[in-house]
Amino acid sequence: MVVVRLPTGVVSLRSSREAGRNVLRALKHSIRSLEPARGSGTIPFGIAPIDHALGGGLARAALHEVAAAGESAITAATQFALGVAAHAQEPRAVVWIAEEMGLIENGAPYGPGLDDLGLRPERLVTVAAAKPRDVLGAMEEALRCRAVAVVIGEIRSARLDLVASRRLSLAAGHRDVCAFLLRTAPGTDASAAATRWTVTGARSRANAAGPGPARLSVLLTRNRHGPVGSWLVEWNRVERRFDLAPSVSQPVADAARDRPHRAPAFGA
Amino acid sequence: MRLATDRIARQRSAPDPRPLVVTGRRGNIERLTAVDAAAAALGLRLGLALAEARARYPDLAVVAEDAADDRRLLDGIADWCQRYTPLLAVDPPDGLLLDIAGCAHLYGGEERLLADLLARIGGFGFAARAAIASTIGAAFAAARFGDAGIVAPGKERTMLAPLPMAALRLPEDTVAALRRVGLKRIGDILDLPRAPLAARFGDDVLRQLARALGTEREPLTPLLPVAAYVAEQSFSEPIAREEDVLHVIARLAARLEPVLERCGEGARCIELALFRTDGAVRRIVVATSRSVRDPSDVRALYVERLASLADALDPGFGFDLARLSVLAAEPCPPEQIGLGERADDADLDRLIDRLSARLGARRVMRLVANDSHIPEVAAAAVPAQADIARENGWAAFRRFRNGVALSPRPLRLLGKPEPIEAIATVPDGPPVRFRWRRAFQEVVAADGPERIEGAWWSEEGGPARDYFRVEDKAGLRFWVFRAGLYRLTAQPQWFLHGTFA
Repeated sequence: MVVVRLPTGVVSLRSSREAGRNVLRALKHSIRSLEPARGSGTIPFGIAPIDHALGGGLARAALHEVAAAGESAITAATQFALGVAAHAQEPRAVVWIAEEMGLIENGAPYGPGLDDLGLRPERLVTVAAAKPRDVLGAMEEALRCRAVAVVIGEIRSARLDLVASRRLSLAAGHRDVCAFLLRTAPGTDASAAATRWTVTGARSRANAAGPGPARLSVLLTRNRHGPVGSWLVEWNRVERRFDLAPSVSQPVADAARDRPHRAPAFGA
Repeated sequence: MRLATDRIARQRSAPDPRPLVVTGRRGNIERLTAVDAAAAALGLRLGLALAEARARYPDLAVVAEDAADDRRLLDGIADWCQRYTPLLAVDPPDGLLLDIAGCAHLYGGEERLLADLLARIGGFGFAARAAIASTIGAAFAAARFGDAGIVAPGKERTMLAPLPMAALRLPEDTVAALRRVGLKRIGDILDLPRAPLAARFGDDVLRQLARALGTEREPLTPLLPVAAYVAEQSFSEPIAREEDVLHVIARLAARLEPVLERCGEGARCIELALFRTDGAVRRIVVATSRSVRDPSDVRALYVERLASLADALDPGFGFDLARLSVLAAEPCPPEQIGLGERADDADLDRLIDRLSARLGARRVMRLVANDSHIPEVAAAAVPAQADIARENGWAAFRRFRNGVALSPRPLRLLGKPEPIEAIATVPDGPPVRFRWRRAFQEVVAADGPERIEGAWWSEEGGPARDYFRVEDKAGLRFWVFRAGLYRLTAQPQWFLHGTFA
């Protein structure tokens, strides 16, 4: 039950413009006090423009929607979510809840790959649910657990109503757990998520030795507390975090295959 | 003796006034294997040929025997009898053995227990005879051949003496052999010298006699293992609502808690048995990933389990007895109160238990590392409740990984490599174009090959695989491999095994 206390004088029938403004201000204030405190914790990206847009980083006690641009880009979306979440509140667990069919179609999380990403596989608990409904139920359950740092729910283009996302947001705020909703396609429905992202793969700085570090094109389509934007980020394998990709995607010149100027050094 | 006829009578939709007999083929003749009360009153006995019975009384209801159905019914009754004692065995074809040592006082004595049992079974429509005695043999003889009721301890000898030899549970030919020499009643052999009896008729006679008299111990092989910790509650008014059931679970768990605590144990596997008033027994098992004692934990597990039952908990006219048994217990050190990591661990285990109870244990998994170079074997998902989930090999894996420069591994691995159509420019080279799930992918960059040989000791190891990390025009990265080498295979098959970000 929410009781909004209105400023006195509102009840009088002489409702002027000033009084209306007062009501609005009061309502805004009381709504703000109902919401989970912002800035209780953020997960910084380490990328200045993104962190700036988000106000310091990804809010921890909130729901974030990360959608792949298409089903084939789901691994890119997965890496984006995991890459951000991997270092949040170690050694608490990461719970990954997905539809069973999704794990079969798109592949299940692979331990050595997670390890490359910096997420220790022993922290991960995977749940294969039969129905999207079970995914949401299990997510809410996991969000209420103290021992969990991040909950990732994967949904395959199922509709998600506002009530569900609202429930998940509240549950995330309740225990200071970060919730990600991975979707195989950008959702068009209303959502209570703090941020919504659309992620797809981008051509890496490939050379003759093969593909370079993973590059993702991320689009922040909704941000409750700041501006939206789009960035091209690159995975930094050494520091295990995302960097802003250099603007030139192809190397200016191929690295020389044989380096003749070195030869005399060896011969000398 | 009436089990089969009672079963048929119970299954009938409308009563049939005709005498009922059940027949089965013995030797080459159709003989009566069960007769109901009306048929017995006419003088029809077991073993009579059907033709003869029909000649005497043409108006008989005849049904063919169904041993499997009878056995199922007997097992069902045995299940129901668990309300009296956990220690019980089935004595085919139509008997049950209950070890009620230490249970009778719960019903106010042996007479009351016997009366209660007979009244309830009679209420289900079964004609039953029951006897209580100090030995299995004596109880068997009294129930089937004697006056039933209770045989006082020490009175086995006088009770057995007038009974026919078959009451000793001897093979038919032994009984026939004894009869041939005039030994028809048990009393006839009670005082005979042992050695000649054994020499002539075998050890069986003496052993069964000794067992019936209680001079030799006879073990009872129980139908179900007896749980180490059991708490039960019977209700004078049957309960039916789920909340009531959960309340009872919490109460029973609260009763088990001090006992478990005293023994320093906790439950890993719990069974709830609900006895419905109509005789059906519902058993619901939950497992946990760490030993639990706390009643609220047990209750929480059953909340999830009951919510996820495929067939809802059908109370019928209500449950009149609930029993909570700990099927598997494990040492459980006293819990410490603290805010450290251990409390977190316990919290996570509770979450795993709740999710496992709701969705099924095989749906909640943890990853373990295996000592293998074959990618799909190197990491496996195991049920999070299993003990091996704790001894994951990731520490060893990281030590190995730090020592060897292994090429990157995909983030998501397909359960089974999917065949793709790929074109490679040079033999043993990466593909330049491939088709996966009907979509063409143009490869712009490739890294490899990383050769992974099949296991030489195993036929299923398959051919060597050359793995490539390839990137397509859209910026998607895949892990593809070619099974087999060009110089060994004419047309090697390509597969897609996983995806990178």
